[in-house]
Amino acid sequence: MNMYSYVNQVRREAYVEPGGLSDYDQRFWILVGALMIEVQHLTKRYGPFTAVDDVSFRAEKGEILGLLGPNGAGKTTTMRVLTGYMPATEGTATVAGHDVFADPIEAKRKTGYLPETPPLYPDMTVREYLTFVAKLKLPAAVSKAERASRIDGVMEKTHIVDMANRHCSKLSKGYKQRVGIAQALIHDPEVLILDEPTAGLDPKQIIETRDLIRGLAGNHTIVLSTHILPEVSQTCQRVVIINRGRVVAVDTPDNLTRQLRGSATLYVQVDAGSDDASPALSAIDGVRQITEIDRHEQQVGFEVAADAERDIRRDVARLVVDKGWGLLELRPLRLSLEDIFLQLTTDESQTVPAESWTAPVDEAPIEPQGGHDSSDSEAAPHA
Amino acid sequence: MRNIFTIAGKELRGFFASPMGWVVMGLFALLFGYFFMAHLTYFVGQSMQAQQGGGPINVNQFMIRPLLQNVALINLFLLPMITMRAYAEEKRSGTIELLLTSPVTDMQIILGKFLGVLGFYAALLAVTMLYVSILFVYGNPEFLPVVTGYLGLLLMGGCFLSVGLFISSTTKNQVVAGAATFVVFLLLWIISWLGQSAGPTAAQVLDYLSIVWHFDDFGKGVIDTKHVIYYLSFITFGLFLTMKSVDTERWRG
Repeated sequence: MNMYSYVNQVRREAYVEPGGLSDYDQRFWILVGALMIEVQHLTKRYGPFTAVDDVSFRAEKGEILGLLGPNGAGKTTTMRVLTGYMPATEGTATVAGHDVFADPIEAKRKTGYLPETPPLYPDMTVREYLTFVAKLKLPAAVSKAERASRIDGVMEKTHIVDMANRHCSKLSKGYKQRVGIAQALIHDPEVLILDEPTAGLDPKQIIETRDLIRGLAGNHTIVLSTHILPEVSQTCQRVVIINRGRVVAVDTPDNLTRQLRGSATLYVQVDAGSDDASPALSAIDGVRQITEIDRHEQQVGFEVAADAERDIRRDVARLVVDKGWGLLELRPLRLSLEDIFLQLTTDESQTVPAESWTAPVDEAPIEPQGGHDSSDSEAAPHA
Repeated sequence: MRNIFTIAGKELRGFFASPMGWVVMGLFALLFGYFFMAHLTYFVGQSMQAQQGGGPINVNQFMIRPLLQNVALINLFLLPMITMRAYAEEKRSGTIELLLTSPVTDMQIILGKFLGVLGFYAALLAVTMLYVSILFVYGNPEFLPVVTGYLGLLLMGGCFLSVGLFISSTTKNQVVAGAATFVVFLLLWIISWLGQSAGPTAAQVLDYLSIVWHFDDFGKGVIDTKHVIYYLSFITFGLFLTMKSVDTERWRG
C-alpha cells in the first residue's frame, strides 16, 4: 500500500465512524501533524443534567469545522472542555497532540479561544489589552520587540489598527468581536476555537468576520460554533451537528444534503401548451416519481425524483425540446441545511413537507463556497 | 513567575485606571489624616502635662503606635472595596475565561491577584508615610519601631486581603462579595471580645485567633516570629481556600 492510499484510507476511517481509528493509525496521524483536534466520548454532566453526552469528532489540520446546534445543545460546553476552561466528566480531548486535562498548559499554548462574549477589560486600551494577553500567552523567550510586532500583526489582520488607543469599553460590538479574535490569534495558535463569532453583528460585519475566518484557515485549524445555518455552508468544510448534547451527524455540508435525500430531485417547470407533461416525464429512464407542485395556467412545475447516481437533466431538456414545449426552469432540488437540521434535531417526523424545499443557500449575500468543500478528494497535506 | 507579575501588574493598573482605586486611596488618606490629627492633638496635650510633671513622653509609644493600630479600623472598612471585584468582576464580565484558558496555572493567577491587591494596599500605606514623616521633621521618634509597625500593617492587611480574595472568588456579584467580606473582617476583629466574658483559656485562644491582637507587638517595635508565622499561615490558608474555590467552580462549570 503506498503512502497516499494509506493516508486516504485512514482519512476515510476517521470520518466515517468516530473511534474507527486504531491507536497506531491515530499516532501516525498525529505524527504527520494532520490530526489537530481529537474529541473522544466526551461527556459533561452538571449534577443530574447531562450537557454533553458521548461526543466524538476530529478536526484535521487547516480545516474549518462547524459545531452546529440549537441553543443549549452543548456547543459552548464542548468548546469549554476543549480549551481547558473546565474538565470533562468522562472522555478525552486532545489538541495538537496534548491532552487538555493531563497536559493543560501545553494544550492551551496551542489554542486560541474566543468565548461567546469577548473577554475584554473595559478600562484598558486595545493595545494595552493585547499586550497583557501577549505577555500571558507568549513564551517568556519572546522579546519585547517581537511581542510588539506580533501585536501590530494581529491588529492589522483583524483591522483594528485605528482603534489601538481606544478603551475597550468604548468599542462597538463589531470591534469588540475583532479584538476578541485578535486576542485569540496573538500567539499564533495551531487551533482556533470560536464560540459564535458572528453572533450579534450586523450583516456587513458578519461578512467581514466570515471572510476573516476563511482567510485564517490553512494556517490554523478552526472550530466554530453557530446556530445560524447558512454560516455553516459558507464557512465550514465539515459540520458536526449537535442536539441535546449528542452528535447527530458529521459530514461536509454538501454530503449532508445529498445523503439525506437518497435520490436526486429536480424541479422542472415547463410550458406544455395543452399537453399533459407528466406521462412523458415519468417515461424518462431513471425517473422514480413525479409530483406536480405548482401550476399557473399552462406553466406547470414538477418535482422529479430520480435515482441518485443518474443525472437526468439532459434527458429532461431533450424531451422538452423534442416535444416543442417551453422549458422555463430546471434546477436540482436539495434539502437546505435548514431542513436537514430540523430533520436531525426534531424527533417526531422524518418527512419534510414539500413547501420547505428550497434551493441550497445561494440566496444568502455571500458567494457560494467553492473548491475546498469536500475533504476527501484532496491529497493528504503531509504525505 | 513572569505570569504572576503580569497578572499582578494588570490588577494594579486596574486600580489606577478606574475611579474606584483613587476613591479608596482618597478615603484612606482622609481617614488616616483625621486619626493623625486627633492623636497629634492628644499627644501634644499629654506632653504639655508631662513636661510639668516630669520627663518628656515617648512619641513612638504614645503617638505612632496607637495611630498605626487605628489603621486596622480603616482596613476593616476599605479593604473589602479592594478585593471585592478581584474575582467577582472577572466572572461577571467573562474575562475569567481568558485567564483560565491562557497557559497559566490557577496558582499563578491567584498569586498574581494577591500580589496585585497587596501592591495597592502597600501604595495606600505609602501615602500614610507622608503623615508620619511630618513627625520626623518636627520631632525625633525612633525609626525602627515605625518600620516594624508598617511591616505588621502589611502582614495584617495581607490576611484581610487573602480572605477577601477567597470571598470574591465565590460569587459573581461584587456587592455580595464586598458585604460578606466586611462581615467576615468584623468577626475576625471582634472575636477577642468574646474572650472577656469567657474563661481564661478560652480568652487566650480567642485572642490568638484575632487578627488585630497579633499586631500589637509589631506596634511596639518587636518582630515576634509567633506573630509572623500566624500572619503568614493565615495568608496561605486564605489563598488555599481561594484555590479550592476556583477549582470547585471549574468542575461545577
